[in-house]
Amino acid sequence: MADKPAISLARLDKRFRVSEREPGLWPALRALFRREWVEVEAVRELSFDIARGERVGFLGPNGAGKTTTLKMLAGLLHPSGGRAEVLGFEPARRRPEFLRRVALVMGQKRQLSWDLPALDTFELNRVVFDVPRGLYAERLDEMVELLDIGEVVRRPVRTLSLGERMKCELVAALLHGPEVLFLDEPTIGMDVAMQLAIREFIREYHRRHGATLILTSHYMEDVAALCERILVIDEGRLRFDGSIDALVRRIRPLRRVAIRSGAALDDATRTGLGALGQLADAGPSRVALDVAPARVPEVVARLLALPGARDLEVQDAPLEEVMRELFSRRGELDAGPGEEGAR
Amino acid sequence: MSASGRGRRSKVAALWRLGVAEASAYRASLLVWVLATTLPLISLVLWRALAESGPIGDYDQHGFDSYFIAAFVVRQLSASWVVWDLDRQIRTGELSALLMRPVHPVLHHAMTNLSALPLRTALAAPVGLAVLLATGGISITEDPAMLALVVPVLALAWAINFVTQLAIGCLAFWLTKAAALYDVWLGAYVVLAGYLVPTSLFPAGLAEVARMLPFHAALGFPVELLIGRLSVAEAVAGIGLQLVWLVALGALAALAWRWGLRAYGAFGA
Repeated sequence: MADKPAISLARLDKRFRVSEREPGLWPALRALFRREWVEVEAVRELSFDIARGERVGFLGPNGAGKTTTLKMLAGLLHPSGGRAEVLGFEPARRRPEFLRRVALVMGQKRQLSWDLPALDTFELNRVVFDVPRGLYAERLDEMVELLDIGEVVRRPVRTLSLGERMKCELVAALLHGPEVLFLDEPTIGMDVAMQLAIREFIREYHRRHGATLILTSHYMEDVAALCERILVIDEGRLRFDGSIDALVRRIRPLRRVAIRSGAALDDATRTGLGALGQLADAGPSRVALDVAPARVPEVVARLLALPGARDLEVQDAPLEEVMRELFSRRGELDAGPGEEGAR
Repeated sequence: MSASGRGRRSKVAALWRLGVAEASAYRASLLVWVLATTLPLISLVLWRALAESGPIGDYDQHGFDSYFIAAFVVRQLSASWVVWDLDRQIRTGELSALLMRPVHPVLHHAMTNLSALPLRTALAAPVGLAVLLATGGISITEDPAMLALVVPVLALAWAINFVTQLAIGCLAFWLTKAAALYDVWLGAYVVLAGYLVPTSLFPAGLAEVARMLPFHAALGFPVELLIGRLSVAEAVAGIGLQLVWLVALGALAALAWRWGLRAYGAFGA
């Protein structure tokens, strides 16, 4: 059964009913007697498969349905329609055999007891997840060392910094060796160094244990560093499914080729270069061209031939820019699943 | 014992240990809770003064001493606070962490609530002892059969409080402030449970009704049993009533929990 997907979604839907009112005293009073409800479609007909051991990132703006989807897969939310299957289980039934094989880490929530050392929660999890003592000690030592939290786990959780707490949350979630790990904004609010440490740890955990990883994050760096596959979800729908490179090329099909030159360009050179691509920068000492990937070699050769040319760079558009563009172009990018070859 | 039975026992024990650790961390607030539930001792002073010139109903001064000290003790031993925990956990989404563990969240709450009772009792003991010394002691039942019933009756009283709080706490799946509704219940409890006045002193008519309600089953009945005011027949009937309320309120709580989980998440959990 090795090729059966770890996770499988078929036309998964989630609708919420939320009350709505205008601001102010009068609408507030009126809402006491007559509430107005609106139905929000958080997730609409979402279908995709995730293979065992895959690392998948959910991207999308706030309220796009990423976290809702994640919570349905973890079994916290009941779908309004469609089907979700994780490791052969229906998540919403929350069978103990299912819960023992998955874990959910939420950057904004905690499972650790606030006024107790994290070790107390670890110990509880050891028992409720049926982790043998030897294996528990081994895993705990391994993670405590990787995360460098030897002392931290003995202090009351309320005294820890955000980053220290998240490290302990990760340990608590991983002690039972989950095969599927759901991560919802695990690095939210952390400084760059801490983000890096958490990211490295997650990557190492995946390397050692081959768990299936699903991550939502606002930090593009997290997703780029951890995930080989990206699912873009917006307004509850799947907009893109493929690698990060494919996503970048789809949004920004052109690549930027830049070079420092010794002298200002003359008009003839400028016109010549303009014919190869869009001239993004033609300053006295720097030239940058946005060109189609197929033309990169030709453009590179032409730029290197310029007098005094040095420091050649070929790059994709920065990820943050790509995302900004992606979400400002809502609706336009209706990429069905499997858009690997968009170039 | 089977492996799964052993597993369940060790889980219960682990939850108990966590509960004891949490209770010790929260000992100050636990003490505040004890002090906030000393109302029966205030009633004691009032009724004692009123009974100075002669018994009221079938209670003389010593009778009131016994009743209200027993009420204070029963209140401490049947205490639960799951409604506040659950209300907060549902609203903030903290419940998710419990739902991800392969142990039922209700069992988690039951154990953490129960495991705080020994410490709570220890904190309440000096208060109870002081009152005991000041009043010159209380009389409890001397009938061994009744004494044997005290523990199960107290356990049922605790369970009634717990499932009531659970049922009301589950309303947080749909309402913004379910714990506020519990204050309404608590208001009725203060009046009808025999917390301020023994229900047997209520006007005829009201007394009979009050003694049928879950409030009385959770407080007045265990108190009267403890201080030896009930016949065997009354004790058996009272236990029957406790069981009826436990099953009825427990079924409500179970339904609210099941339906609630389906609605969970609508508030950004």
